[in-house]
Amino acid sequence: MFLILGAILAAYALLAPLTSLDAAQSANVPLLADRLWFRIATIIAMFIVMATAWNIIGGITGYAAFGNVAFFGIGAYTTGMLIAKAKWPFLVALPFAPLVSAGFAALVGLPLLRLRGHYFAVASLGVGVAVGELVQNIDYGGQPLFGGASGLFLPIYAIDNRGLFFFYLMVAAATIAIAVTWWVLRSRFGYGLIAIRENEEAAAVLGVNTTVYKVAAFALSAALTGLAGGIFSQWNVFINQDNTFPIDYNVQMILMALLGGTGTVFGPAVGAVLLQLLIQFLGGSLPISFDIPFVSADARPILAQVILGVLLVGVVIFVPRGVIDFFGGRSRLSLSYLRRSLRETSL
Amino acid sequence: MSAGVTTQLELRGVTKRFGGVAAVDGVTFEVGKGEIVGIIGPNGAGKTTLLNCISGLHRLDGGDIRWQGASIAGMAPHRIAKLGIGRTFQIVRPFGSMTVRENAAVGALFGSAAGRRGPKEAFEMADQVLDLVGLKAKAGHPVSALTIPDRKRLEVARAVATRPHLLLLDEVMAGLNNVEIDEALEMVRAVHATGVTVLLIEHVMRVIIGVCRRAVVLDFGQVLAQGEPEVVLRDERVIQAYLGERYAKRLKS
Repeated sequence: MFLILGAILAAYALLAPLTSLDAAQSANVPLLADRLWFRIATIIAMFIVMATAWNIIGGITGYAAFGNVAFFGIGAYTTGMLIAKAKWPFLVALPFAPLVSAGFAALVGLPLLRLRGHYFAVASLGVGVAVGELVQNIDYGGQPLFGGASGLFLPIYAIDNRGLFFFYLMVAAATIAIAVTWWVLRSRFGYGLIAIRENEEAAAVLGVNTTVYKVAAFALSAALTGLAGGIFSQWNVFINQDNTFPIDYNVQMILMALLGGTGTVFGPAVGAVLLQLLIQFLGGSLPISFDIPFVSADARPILAQVILGVLLVGVVIFVPRGVIDFFGGRSRLSLSYLRRSLRETSL
Repeated sequence: MSAGVTTQLELRGVTKRFGGVAAVDGVTFEVGKGEIVGIIGPNGAGKTTLLNCISGLHRLDGGDIRWQGASIAGMAPHRIAKLGIGRTFQIVRPFGSMTVRENAAVGALFGSAAGRRGPKEAFEMADQVLDLVGLKAKAGHPVSALTIPDRKRLEVARAVATRPHLLLLDEVMAGLNNVEIDEALEMVRAVHATGVTVLLIEHVMRVIIGVCRRAVVLDFGQVLAQGEPEVVLRDERVIQAYLGERYAKRLKS
């Protein structure tokens, strides 16, 4: 509990200067006054939600979900449709994003979570791709039901300091995701999930209702991811298949969780910050930027993909328990650490 | 079964097939409350498969299993665990990322008496159980720091922490040396003394004779003989199943 309070206080201390653009401008802090900075900070918070949410099913329960982006998209489209077509106010429409995502996860989870290992990973990837295609291609009465290929436009949410508002909203979602993880890891529910990850049959004969627990973990993960999607839709004002069902996100949220440390409370968040900063930097959209020798500006996003790939391999091999464990007190920066990691991850 | 003992577990023609092979073929016997019953038989006789049938990991292809009078055939493993049937695995399956104490606590959190028990009470109960099996001093250790005999103890601790009425032990003594077997026997007796019925698979005859009042011999999935261990082990068919026909003839002459 103190940990959460401390984290909230620390976050507030860090973010307090951001609450007023004028204050930042008068204090001559260029980064904070920049609207682009808010955009990047909001994206980082969004990935904290997604990586932390993925950790619940992928890290704690041990089911490598490769299609979680489906829940982001479903959340975005749920809120988007309710606002654009049903004319609901944003804050009324938003709670339906996690609800619909969780409901969908429970539905597909029942058959999907009977699969193990690679089979589950591939099947969940299939769901992730299929949902995006369905959303773009479903017609009703000759009209595309969800806006089709041209996407869905939402009315702009009328509020002062919009950038700041959505930044706070996304940070709130990230805080909820981290708090939920903190609670899960201390609860009966969490012990059941970890037992499933370590040995599902052993968990079952000890009395863990594995089906219900797995589906609940999947739905919880989907709800949080859907919440991020719901906020995204109103923040971005325009949603289509490309920006709400990007396959890249699947890889990124997993890589973030791995980088920071799967199964931990703060690991995925740390990984999300590090990796998203790197992606933004390599993509050339950080306010602080410098030329990378031999790489033209056009090629930078491609370089980003290459570096992400190398990083993924490196993390899995050398720091399988994540950077928190790597730099934490329990281990030292040494060859023996890397050797031990190699032993644990190799056959 | 001696008179006056109430039947707890009742197997009626239990059958499990894998493809065309009947791994367990029409097995019928009973286990009374408070008994320690041994299941013996050569490798591949279907002993572990039978345990998997009782604990719900396998669906039956025939027959029925009744627990305190009601059928549990086709029930999910977690429901059977909640009814009070706990088990261990022959090849230990600890939760590797947890400490010894946490492993036992999972049993306490989800077992038969779980109710609304929270982590705090579960950990208290885990400590009691670890004391019973002799792992108290290693409660805070990670599983990876345990020796094989200790991992077998942990299997038992986890199952006992579910507060079972019936405990199914799958070769908890295999691979142990003589001193370790004696310690493990003490552990089984200690668990039994808390009022738990025990059904155990064992290859070590000393264990069967040492703790079991009754033994059931399986061969090719069928019950070959059952009764007092000393009598059963002198049965010619049992010797034949274990040691082959020729050896049995030589013993007779």
